Amino acid sequence: MVERSRTGPGRRAVRGSVATALLASGLAACGGGGGAPTLHWYVNPDNGGQDRLARACSAASGGRYRIETALLPADASQQREQLVRRLAAKDSGLDLMSLDPVFVAEAANAGFLRPFTPAEAAGFTQGVFPAAVRSSTWKGRLYAAPFWAGTQVLWYRRSVARKAGVDPAAPGFTWDKMIDAAERTGTTVGEQGNKYEGYMVWINALVESAGGHVLTGGEDGAKARITIDGPAGRRAAGVIRRLARSRAASPTLATDIEEQARSLLNGPRGGFLLNWGYVWQAETGDAKAGTIAGSVVDDLGWAPYPQVTEGVKAKPPFGGIELAVGAYGRHKAEAVDAARCVTTADNMKRYMLDSGNPAARAAVYDDPEVVKRFPMAGLLRDSIDAAAPRPVTPYYGDVSGAIQSRWHPPASVDPATTPRRSASFISQVLRDKALL
Amino acid sequence: MESARSKWLWAVGSLLILVWTAVPILWIVMLSFKQPGEVGNRHGFLPHTWTWENYRTVFRTGLFTSALVNSIGISLIATAVGVVFATLVAYAIARLEFPGKRAILSFALAIAMFPVVSLVGPLFDLWRDIGLYDTWPGLIIPYVSFALPLAIWTLSAFFREIPWEMEQAAQVDGATSWQAFRKVIVPLAAPGVFTAAILTFFFCWNDFVFGISLTSTDNARPVPAALAFFTGASFFQQPTTAICAAAVVVTVPVVVIVLLFQRRIVAGLTAGAVKG
Amino acid sequence: MSAPSRAELSDRGRAERRLGLVLSAPAVAVMLLVTAYPLANALYLSLFRYRLTAPDDRRFVWFSNYATALGDPLFWQDVLTTLVITAVTVAVEVVIGFAFALVMHRAVFARRTVRTAILLPYGIVTVISAFAWKYAFDLQSGFVNSWFGAGDFAWFSHRWASLLVIVLSEIWKTTPFVSLLLLAGLAQVPGDLGEAATVDGATAWQRLWRVTIPNMRAAILVAVLFRTLDAWRIFDNVFVMTSGQGKTETLSFLTYRQTITRTAIGLGDAVGVLLFLSVVLIAAVFIRGFRVDLSQVRGDR
Repeated sequence: MVERSRTGPGRRAVRGSVATALLASGLAACGGGGGAPTLHWYVNPDNGGQDRLARACSAASGGRYRIETALLPADASQQREQLVRRLAAKDSGLDLMSLDPVFVAEAANAGFLRPFTPAEAAGFTQGVFPAAVRSSTWKGRLYAAPFWAGTQVLWYRRSVARKAGVDPAAPGFTWDKMIDAAERTGTTVGEQGNKYEGYMVWINALVESAGGHVLTGGEDGAKARITIDGPAGRRAAGVIRRLARSRAASPTLATDIEEQARSLLNGPRGGFLLNWGYVWQAETGDAKAGTIAGSVVDDLGWAPYPQVTEGVKAKPPFGGIELAVGAYGRHKAEAVDAARCVTTADNMKRYMLDSGNPAARAAVYDDPEVVKRFPMAGLLRDSIDAAAPRPVTPYYGDVSGAIQSRWHPPASVDPATTPRRSASFISQVLRDKALL
Repeated sequence: MESARSKWLWAVGSLLILVWTAVPILWIVMLSFKQPGEVGNRHGFLPHTWTWENYRTVFRTGLFTSALVNSIGISLIATAVGVVFATLVAYAIARLEFPGKRAILSFALAIAMFPVVSLVGPLFDLWRDIGLYDTWPGLIIPYVSFALPLAIWTLSAFFREIPWEMEQAAQVDGATSWQAFRKVIVPLAAPGVFTAAILTFFFCWNDFVFGISLTSTDNARPVPAALAFFTGASFFQQPTTAICAAAVVVTVPVVVIVLLFQRRIVAGLTAGAVKG
Repeated sequence: MSAPSRAELSDRGRAERRLGLVLSAPAVAVMLLVTAYPLANALYLSLFRYRLTAPDDRRFVWFSNYATALGDPLFWQDVLTTLVITAVTVAVEVVIGFAFALVMHRAVFARRTVRTAILLPYGIVTVISAFAWKYAFDLQSGFVNSWFGAGDFAWFSHRWASLLVIVLSEIWKTTPFVSLLLLAGLAQVPGDLGEAATVDGATAWQRLWRVTIPNMRAAILVAVLFRTLDAWRIFDNVFVMTSGQGKTETLSFLTYRQTITRTAIGLGDAVGVLLFLSVVLIAAVFIRGFRVDLSQVRGDR
């Protein structure tokens, strides 16, 4: 099988005929016939930063290996579809993959990934945020190398906070205070309430911040204990219900994803926004292109994720990308080396500056270049450090889908019934007793 | 014998039709000329600032250009193969007596009604086993098979109308059988074959389900499937304007075909297709 | 020409038979390869509890997946959604398609332009049509709300509003097909019948109902059958516009999500087989019930 990555325009004409020739003969050639083996790295779409890292690491390997990237779909669950199907078919051409943290457990449990030895793991986890390590670990072994780590912070318009007389950065700033402030000032709190993974990110962060978990014992697979129907789940449901039914909610909360929520902040009713770190680059970029006023960026403030219970530190969402080595690849030793190269602190920093995706090692955030580009680097570091991963279970897709199905639309959430119904629905789905 | 009033009514009807079909197409074109940051921040039909940026973006990424090559290549090959197969069957059905004729036609009709989504899972496994997954033939085969019913249907309707006796008449007049076929039958059959080709091409060009399910790299991924791979400046930003630029590019061939062959398509789909 | 002898006839008959089968073989083989094996495979796997990501946990469960699917409210909700989409699109398309066909048939003004305009959506990729309509109604990117004074009404937050947009995009894309079939039917209506009716003093409306439409019965039924089965399998628009959210999921999308997204192969194949059976059922109802004379369509008179 030949996997080609993005190639220069000059090679495109050649590619067509190469493909035809391959098809005509019905043969599937494999890369790396002679010389350095070619590693195929399946990457989630970004601005090309991973491709540039691949080239840098190929060069740095001194001819030991050559990395070619192949693109996955933009949507995280579609990325998983593609990878799972290739892995289930024991594809030997899948050496390295960029995995969303929530799907590491599933792939590890199915035997699709090559676990790292304790010695390798030590290097991959040194100085890495705890949530990233927890997401990449399955039954005591590290199955993926943390590459970059995302989290959400509270973005807000300083003028609105001033008008409402609140300080979002002060300790003890809660969801209730934030919604009150938005209601008082006729502004909005942007969130992701569409029926998709981003909504699950919100639900999980609230449950964790309220001191609970969606489930425990994820290692028992389908027999995990579903604990969303507890005090924390009901608190989370209360927050969602309050916001969704408040004037401070976006009119399209039930279909809002990250970008809709961000454009709400730029509009006349912009006030507060819970969103990932990319917002900073996006806002400055839009201001530069002239599609939003420069004053919006000057007015932009940032603060830690709001608390659910006053005085109890919030546990913000955790996201990012982990690097995993396929179990069926022909060049596993080289793939581990390549993963090591990609995830050095230097390369993480390079990638952070290039793509805007935050590094998984805390030390990077003290780098002067990083601080210059990301004025909120300290906040990002502390937030990722405090972040809670989503449930680590091989059935994550089903758990998340089941919760989304019972918790959507946000305005229908009821603390008295929603957590209970979603808990029983999850167990049904896991036993193949219900469609999802 | 049209009165002035009814003439006027037809004109209004025509105008309404023009608006109805043109607006969505124009809308995609307009979006493709907007700045990426304009979406969500400025509303309105026309771009605030016209820009070619989106076209530069899509053509700069190998993602789109390779998908375009795949779409064109796969659709053309599938069209050629499909039309040849359909012509053979249609000829046999129109001119020959053989058992299973009805069965073939019923089967083709059943295929036309088949729920494609029920098939992609097993087809994926089969393609993996025989090495067709993520290759051109891996898409060409399902395209041919699902485009065949319409092609067979159109062509056999067409061939039934051909006065085949003329071939013999020409031979009686001294032409060789090859000359008779070439001079008499080919000109009569060509419009039907051509129409079947256009319909088959549209079918292949339009496919989405097979495109997303049976490919995984830019080896074979066609454009409709590739649109799902577009991203904005960061992971969370919507590539709305870039998608529209790509959409415009793949719509151009369709517009050209329709403009050039409008009469052919109408004639092909209507001539003898349905007997009242 | 003199009548051929019996022996000659059977010889020629045999050769003709062979040629007919040989000519049909490639097409039939391709169609079988893509449908027969996968369908048999889906039937077989639908009897297992089987997940791609848990290959060791594969158990034969008889028809329990079918029981799960048929006993699940989600399945019936999706049946209802699909039914509504199908009924509305087909009904509207027949009416609009008939109007289009009349205009194509009769238009004097810019006839070529009108025909081209009608054909355009037919050639445009469904996914692209879905994007166009989605972006038009989307609050962030769209113009519809400001043009029609809908304020900040969120189309895709309401089940019926989002279904309306899905239906609109489907109607836009596939009405040309209907109108072409109906135009064919229209061309078959004997012109002198209409003229005779005119002489009898019938109004245009009466002529339409008493002469034109009855004479087009076959064309209309064929258009309805094809479009019904096509709309029943609707997938692309839903995928692009809502991903099945807000109770807009259709049967095809349900199948896709179980087999491809969730990789719950056993359960998903059961839903896929049910979808297949529903298509067979609809086709049977049409062909038996409405006596759609397919022989006239498929050309084997």
